[in-house]
Amino acid sequence: MTNFTLHINGKSYDVQAAPDMPLLWVLRDILNLTGTKFGCGVASCGACTVLADGKAIRSCVTPLESVTDLQITTIEGLSPDGAHPIQKAWEAVGVPQCGYCQSGQMMSLAGLLQSNKKPSAEELSAVMSQVLCRCGTYQRIRQAAQLAIDELNK
Amino acid sequence: MKKTAIDRRKFIKLTSLGTSGLVLGFTLPGFARLATGELPECTFFQPNAYIRIDTAGVVTIFVGKQEMGQGVNTSLPMIVAEELEVDFQKVKTEIAAFGSLAEGAHDTGGSQSVTGSWDELRKAGAVAKTMLVTAAANKWNVKSSICKAENGAVVNAVTGRSFTYGELACDAATLPVPSEVTLKNIRDFKVIGKEQRKKNLKDILTGQAKYGIDIKVPDMVYAVVERCPVLGGSLLEVETSAAMAVPGVIKVVSFTGTGKPMNVRPGVAVVATNVWAAMKGRRLLKITWNEGAQNKESTAELFKNFTKIAKNKPAKSVHTIGDFDAVTSAKSNTFQAEYAAPFLAHATLEPMNFIASVQGDQCELWGGLQLPDWTVSDIAEKCGIKKENIKVNLTLIGGGFGRRLQFDFAIEAVKIAQQLDKPVQVIWDRSDDLRFDNYRPANYHRLMAKWDKSGKLLAWDHHVLGTPVEWSIDEKRADKLPSENLGGAGQDFWYHIPNVRTGYTAVDFNLQRGWLRGVEPVQNVFAVESFIDEVARKMKKDPLQFRLSLLEGYAPFKTSGDGMVAPERLAGVLKLAAEKIGWTNTRQKNHFMGIAGHMFFCDSYAAHAIEIEMLGPKKFRIHKIVTAIDCGVVINPDGLKSQMEGGTVFGLGQALKNEITVENSRVVQDSFYTYELARFSDVPTIEVYAVKSEARPGGAGEVGVATVAPALCNALAAAGSRPRRLPIKKDGYSWSV
Repeated sequence: MTNFTLHINGKSYDVQAAPDMPLLWVLRDILNLTGTKFGCGVASCGACTVLADGKAIRSCVTPLESVTDLQITTIEGLSPDGAHPIQKAWEAVGVPQCGYCQSGQMMSLAGLLQSNKKPSAEELSAVMSQVLCRCGTYQRIRQAAQLAIDELNK
Repeated sequence: MKKTAIDRRKFIKLTSLGTSGLVLGFTLPGFARLATGELPECTFFQPNAYIRIDTAGVVTIFVGKQEMGQGVNTSLPMIVAEELEVDFQKVKTEIAAFGSLAEGAHDTGGSQSVTGSWDELRKAGAVAKTMLVTAAANKWNVKSSICKAENGAVVNAVTGRSFTYGELACDAATLPVPSEVTLKNIRDFKVIGKEQRKKNLKDILTGQAKYGIDIKVPDMVYAVVERCPVLGGSLLEVETSAAMAVPGVIKVVSFTGTGKPMNVRPGVAVVATNVWAAMKGRRLLKITWNEGAQNKESTAELFKNFTKIAKNKPAKSVHTIGDFDAVTSAKSNTFQAEYAAPFLAHATLEPMNFIASVQGDQCELWGGLQLPDWTVSDIAEKCGIKKENIKVNLTLIGGGFGRRLQFDFAIEAVKIAQQLDKPVQVIWDRSDDLRFDNYRPANYHRLMAKWDKSGKLLAWDHHVLGTPVEWSIDEKRADKLPSENLGGAGQDFWYHIPNVRTGYTAVDFNLQRGWLRGVEPVQNVFAVESFIDEVARKMKKDPLQFRLSLLEGYAPFKTSGDGMVAPERLAGVLKLAAEKIGWTNTRQKNHFMGIAGHMFFCDSYAAHAIEIEMLGPKKFRIHKIVTAIDCGVVINPDGLKSQMEGGTVFGLGQALKNEITVENSRVVQDSFYTYELARFSDVPTIEVYAVKSEARPGGAGEVGVATVAPALCNALAAAGSRPRRLPIKKDGYSWSV
């Protein structure tokens, strides 16, 4: 066990954990930030996506010790009140069914839009095709993503 | 619920008949005795298990069915709110506590939630409204008939004065609960039929929604389990010292497997203060298993076996009309074809997980369950705990699709908790989830048809072969028909043909099977809707018109199950899907269309029409998918659309790439890299159309799945190459959107 300081959603957290513990389990089991989901543990589904200095990462395969210098954003910190343009778009379109994968979907899009404010359909598909939704909300994800992109480029 | 018979449809019927917050008929008058024991104070009105109205006017509607993405946390309260005459936006919803409804009433499956709760929820709303109206009439000392409930208040039609429901709550609470109430006319509906967003939408979008996996019980620890790789094996030896040395690991415990129904495998659980430590510890276990005798089975052999047995007479005859053999082939044209589909996994995005706490003879559980009463009964039996000592806390479910009709994970949690002094959450990883699921049965079909020179279809034969769910959860009895026989071999057959013969042959296989969204109709409709298309093409007839000629003008009839099929409603959805995709329009170059329709046993009818563009011999682009549904009265049009979009994607994944294979009695697929789900890049535009209807509402959770694969294969057949086994990726097809 080692002591670390993490920077999450604009706050600092001191945690004591194994250095190789994936960020996902630090968030969920130690900090009780359960909005970030466990889906596969091997970066194959995207449910655990968070931002690290604005880049989308899979927290299930990201060791805690590798992110101590980075600003982490989880779904709980995407906006204080659910008013981020991506959340608003998801709400307007009514994307979720079970909702379990949706924080990963929104955080993946947030990461893309940080580096590419106006992605093409192909660029959007390349990123969003890496995030699985078993309920099959992909058509609505596409509609909501476009709505968010339009809003951000107004 | 004592449940020995495992026919899912039968028990769902039973349980939904018995469902009842109303049968319980309890009135919670809202008089909560103060801590001092002195003055009772009224704080709310609760005429039945579904509705509570507090003195501030806050209306809470309790949802008896389990929310797992299908939208019952919105559609069911809408039904109550309609009769109650309240603003749905202001209604609060909560999960109905386990035990607050009659045994079986929490059961969620078979697309039965709306159709099975419809009468009861309307009545629940109407009862509350009637009592509130009576309370107001009494206050004004006028007749109830001049008082009208609207928008959370009762208005006096003569004076124009009104009381809010909050103001009336404590008066209403003193009144007797009426046994007879008048329900609204369907045409006066204000809530039902209007689009509503999910009640927990905001929570989901802000990461606040709590699924079972997110529940934290004080002092809770975590367990991950290494299970026997072969069903029917046992634990011989385990070396735990390396696992115990991982910081955070508290204990390693082993447990024995159970028999039917759940066939829990023997396992070794590593218990730790966090999931990661438990996972690390598990990798360091050294275990020797006795794999038992059936450790060499493979799906390759199973399908060879199917092919061989398909030529025999079915073990069980299911459905007979006329005399198939009497139609001699000398006088007719004949055709036969065989179809195959693999085992499938549920792969809910929320991996299986469950919390159990066992303290003395008391047991408390937390997690998602589609059949909580059966779960409790079986845990009581398998773990030696009194049923009345088991408390269940139901949670939001991150995808069901039938996976949580099974409860193997819950039994595991209790078996581990019995060896600990703390609550424990069992968490499966994705590899566990895919390798130890309750799989949709592998299935195989041999069909034959005969028709005369004029193109009249005279005879139809369907031999269904499968690895029945029943045999893996109930007694294996040759005389007992698995519910799969009701599929294409009987219940799912709706074309008017004078001579029909169907039968079923069950083949066992050492793998636990379970119910997957769409269940047996998905298996059988692929074969039936592909074969009818093949026959039409052999006769050089338009496949849509050919289907309609065997449906239109025929009266509803009782199926060999106990359902009713209305051929005209099926014709209706086929025509609607065809119209919306432009079936009769001139096709663009290299564009082809396929269509398929069916009835699901939840009293709903659906069709898919798919347009593809061929880019090479086995290479195509999915241009568009249209789906049409007739499920009677639509409760929430947006929820229905979501279910049909989702069902379509679920079916598309099965058509294109979902497949579980087995070697040496072990499932091969252990991640999403090998068990491939439909992705964003696989999904084209999906258009959903609902038939406007005043028929009693049917279900929508499963009816959107079955017709995708046959519609796609029929489109490919139109282009010149017909796939007859799923997934089509196996046969070299590739696609884009």
